[in-house]
Amino acid sequence: MKEKIQQLLDAEKKIKLGGGEERIAKQHKSGKLTARERINLLFDEGSFVELDKFVEHRCTNFGMEKVKAPADGVVTGYGTVNGRLVFAFAQDFTVLGGSLGEMHASKICKVQDMALKMGAPIIGFNDSGGARIQEGVDALSGYGKIFYRNTIASGSIPQISVIMGPSAGGAVYSPALTDFIFMVENTSRMFITGPQVIKSVTGQEVSQEELGGASTHNKVSGVAHFMDKTEEECIERIKELLSFLPSNNLEDAPAFETGDSINRIEEGLNEIVPVNPNKPYDMKEVIKLIADNGYFFEVHEYFAQNIITGFIRLNGKPVGVVANQPRILAGCLDINASDKAARFIRTCDAFNIPLLNLVDVPGFLPGVEQEYGGIIRHGAKMLYAYSEATVPKVTLIIRKAYGGAYLAMCSKDLGADQVFAWPNAEIAVMGPDGAANIIFKKDIENSDNPIETRQEKINEYRNTIASPYIAAQRGFVDDVLVPSTTRPRLISAFEMLESKRESRPAKKHGNMPL
Amino acid sequence: MRKFIIKVNGNSYEVEVEEVGAVKEVSIPVAQVATPSPAPTSAPSPAPTPAPKAAEPKVEKKEVVVSPGQEVIEAPMPGNIWKIEVKEGDSVKAGDVLLILEAMKMENEIVAPRDGVVASINTTEGAQVNTGDKLVVLD
Repeated sequence: MKEKIQQLLDAEKKIKLGGGEERIAKQHKSGKLTARERINLLFDEGSFVELDKFVEHRCTNFGMEKVKAPADGVVTGYGTVNGRLVFAFAQDFTVLGGSLGEMHASKICKVQDMALKMGAPIIGFNDSGGARIQEGVDALSGYGKIFYRNTIASGSIPQISVIMGPSAGGAVYSPALTDFIFMVENTSRMFITGPQVIKSVTGQEVSQEELGGASTHNKVSGVAHFMDKTEEECIERIKELLSFLPSNNLEDAPAFETGDSINRIEEGLNEIVPVNPNKPYDMKEVIKLIADNGYFFEVHEYFAQNIITGFIRLNGKPVGVVANQPRILAGCLDINASDKAARFIRTCDAFNIPLLNLVDVPGFLPGVEQEYGGIIRHGAKMLYAYSEATVPKVTLIIRKAYGGAYLAMCSKDLGADQVFAWPNAEIAVMGPDGAANIIFKKDIENSDNPIETRQEKINEYRNTIASPYIAAQRGFVDDVLVPSTTRPRLISAFEMLESKRESRPAKKHGNMPL
Repeated sequence: MRKFIIKVNGNSYEVEVEEVGAVKEVSIPVAQVATPSPAPTSAPSPAPTPAPKAAEPKVEKKEVVVSPGQEVIEAPMPGNIWKIEVKEGDSVKAGDVLLILEAMKMENEIVAPRDGVVASINTTEGAQVNTGDKLVVLD
């Protein structure tokens, strides 16, 4: 027996070394951790339990029968993160370049199935050269099975993808199907076709980093949600994101005692919006003044910055924030902002996280590119996502709320449970300048002093129509708030809405504009 | 649409130039410009004064030439340049306001994306700009 035990221990030791010390050193040299190091950083110490470590590939093509692949190049298992059950898989680049074959894929599928059954988040570390070519269609089938499970689990359990190396070709679609994508500067790469293929087909020269690095996908394409300098920082951020998410769609996100007073009056909010409606300000400051301990966990920080999405806590409970940013593109809604917001709204709705919408929007961004790019169908996603969402929805109109963009930012009519406005809010079909030109066209034309008359009419319009009180008289705004009292009022509203139950007609699924 | 005053043999002509398609990273071969066009054909351009030589205006669209390592700050949306806060040669820090673009009833601050020196300013106060117009080049 002793001998058998020793054999087992030796085998385990060998598997734990993955591709061997030499390859591990190479991995470290390229600024990357190994699969097992990543797993150890993520999970509470000693909590990780590995599954399927003895699995090996069954390929006999091209001399593969002689190739040993410990754990078939992927570490899978479960453990706890801050005491909560989490499943994970991590591709091991030191074993056959982390390439995905039949058994590698079936290990991932197994852990995906378990995560869904147990209702716990799954985190996938991607660091792979792609499909294991020797295994041919078996490898492709493996990808397909993973995509299918990503889709089936979508909206039931949080799925998080971490790109910590190459992820090219079909391999990018598993991350793309999940809820959040994390990337690390200089080591992460995602693309469908690499620089060489692009060069041979189109002649364009582009580096790997420029084409599919963390910066590109966080700023330009919007594929990724988070970007960090090191893998350690990235893993810390994953843990933090998990603290805002429930384990599955039947649970509520965890609440913590944050120690911030629910009755805090924030005088700064009375001063934050410039008197001149044409002056920008930083909406993130407003969010921080409202949030518990001034803490805001931003999602999609670098993409479509004219809209802000992220999580705060109010009275310790997670709340998803969608806010216009007047500093960027005047806070207009455009194609990218609509996509970003719609995605975030649906993520929150799927995982029972209430929504707080902070509105200061002059309208949709005008322009030929926007119309040609399909702002109509993209903007529609926001209307759809808000209308469809059944979580508590609270809207606060901070300054401008004009036209279709007013509706798109979750007006009363799209099902906001509570709508508040600050006293300087302007809610109307269009801005005072444009509106006065149309309504008072004759008055201005017939006036002896058209410029003065125009200004008078603009002021008249601003004072009568573009105030929050007209909307409040009709019940589109539930209350007009002294800005400093916003936090206590929001907390009270969300507390009142906690037991909200709203059902929709039974159907297979809606047909969201995409 | 941009207007240029062109002097040919001491006569000045007002020429309107319309940009048809955006060309990326154009560096205009200088030699071509130097070649004087004989252009004996009658002027197809709507020049106000009938000028045989003003045909096919050999006008450089004031293309902004960007050398590697420089960064171009483009107009994020259509609007008017309300104020230019920097001069050529100024050192700026990331986040410093370069100019203010009035658009959508908002004085939008266009800020430096990184530290650098203003290599050129390619717009003027009051100018109307479109999305993608190159406003400032940073060294």
